[in-house]
Amino acid sequence: MSDERETREIRTDYLARVEGEGAMLVRVRGDEVEEVQFKIFEPPRFFEALLRGRQFTEAPDITARICGICPIAYIASSCNAMEAVCGIELPEQGRLLRRLIYCGEWIESHVLHTAMLHAPDFLGYDGAVEMARDRRDIVETALRLKKAGNELMRVVGGREVHPINLRVGGVYRAPSRAELRALVPELEWAREASLAFTRWVAGFDFPDFEQDYVFVALRQPGEYAIERGRIVTSTGLDIAVSEYEQHFTETHVARSNALHSTLAGVGNYLVGPLARYALNYPELSPLAREIAAEVGLGEVCRNPFRSIVVRAVETVYAADEALRIIAEYEPPDPPGVEAVPRAGTGHGCSEAPRGICWHRYEIDDAGTILDAKIVPPTSQNQKTIEEDLVGVVKQSLHLPDDELAHRCEQTIRNYDPCISCATHFLRLEVERT
Amino acid sequence: MRAAACLGSRFRGDDAVGPLVADRLRAAGAAVLECDDEPTRLLDAWAGLDLVVIVDAVSSGAAAGTVHRVEAGEGPLPRDLGLASTHAFSVPDALELGRALGRAPRRVVVIGVEGAAFGMGDPVTPEVEAALDGVAEAVLAELGEG
Repeated sequence: MSDERETREIRTDYLARVEGEGAMLVRVRGDEVEEVQFKIFEPPRFFEALLRGRQFTEAPDITARICGICPIAYIASSCNAMEAVCGIELPEQGRLLRRLIYCGEWIESHVLHTAMLHAPDFLGYDGAVEMARDRRDIVETALRLKKAGNELMRVVGGREVHPINLRVGGVYRAPSRAELRALVPELEWAREASLAFTRWVAGFDFPDFEQDYVFVALRQPGEYAIERGRIVTSTGLDIAVSEYEQHFTETHVARSNALHSTLAGVGNYLVGPLARYALNYPELSPLAREIAAEVGLGEVCRNPFRSIVVRAVETVYAADEALRIIAEYEPPDPPGVEAVPRAGTGHGCSEAPRGICWHRYEIDDAGTILDAKIVPPTSQNQKTIEEDLVGVVKQSLHLPDDELAHRCEQTIRNYDPCISCATHFLRLEVERT
Repeated sequence: MRAAACLGSRFRGDDAVGPLVADRLRAAGAAVLECDDEPTRLLDAWAGLDLVVIVDAVSSGAAAGTVHRVEAGEGPLPRDLGLASTHAFSVPDALELGRALGRAPRRVVVIGVEGAAFGMGDPVTPEVEAALDGVAEAVLAELGEG
């Protein structure tokens, strides 16, 4: 009788101390996937409330606190939005400094994820600690790479965690040419090391799994979009950042507190490395395209498990691009453009390591923030992650519970979700009813 | 050399214990490594130090404001204190990774303060607030001992 078919339930709850932040639930009856839920923790909701009543110039520093791994994404998106509402344009050298520090963030974030959190999945280790005992060379290289990214953030941003040197209109103090040139030897090492790292991860054994994703990313002619651009999709949409809400909506999902982002007429979509790579491949530097070709990545990658390879290629690109910017660097003088507030609404977006991070602010003539809206990348990917889970579970029903659970964790880790983290999923439990 | 490593976020209720104790320790002139998100950053900062006193909020089920003291010894830090990071690496993981790579302090003492509220935007609970000065003194005593 169908009612008596075996039901398998795979569930994980986050840490006791942060209970309710998010959870994963997969319920399988017989060979049907009955339900998949992936809930995430959404700190931006709290920060939106915190921002109201604060000065427009405070938004970058406050939103930078949303995430210690990707503060630059929040700083850049909020600065873009405030510059738009004030009607100022960042001078070229100021923009390049913003792009440069963003390269540092891509390096440190991508390396932390790929080497320390994601790679152990493919090699059968519980985590980086276990991997470090066998593959100390890899972990040492990863830590040094990550440090190169952090150092770039420190020199441009004043300190590596929650940089303090960035502001609406530019920076407070422009680093000297000598300060940036001092970073060159380590960045040259990082570029070489990330090439080798790309070859290494490309050799992993990847599950045979592809999805027909709708990709969404920024695009800026002449560069691989990071700190600016228009929003484009693989369905042909090409819109200004200010038009985002006319096409993308967040819907409340009855069974959870989470909001799901959808693209009008399409449904769920994907942001992040796979989307950027598919939409902007021709804009990668020759070196990044070369290594992608060498490891057989192709120009579009639809296998989420291979996102680790795309992140590695983007790490090569970030080191390469940082070196290019430093070679041509002239300190902006003055270091920043004065932003005079005027009543209105401004929109800003940039490519966080995990995908587009979109901001909207309404301010008054005195520069007081009246309303704030932040759409982080992980919440945009949430529905797509659930669809991946459905597909992966269907494909993996033959696996015993513990292996199925691990495959589900791995599926979520493909997205480097900014929910905090790998170790949580290790607490995952499998229940049979 | 000895230092305190203070972990936590000022925006998350009792998780602010680390930063709030760090403020007090700095005022008293102690060496402080503050780390708000990502403990792998501690690996370079603490490598080779004689003693690191970790200050963090914990969640073990005890009454709010209870102060736990754990000496790390040779083995891993206990997991039942809930010394967990909201990010990729927990403190026990960072210590284990440091040991695997030969980048751990010689001695590690954990001063954990039991928290009750860890939500985004939660205030620090009165019980934890009341414990802060005593915790700072205890850390200074650890750092000052021969």
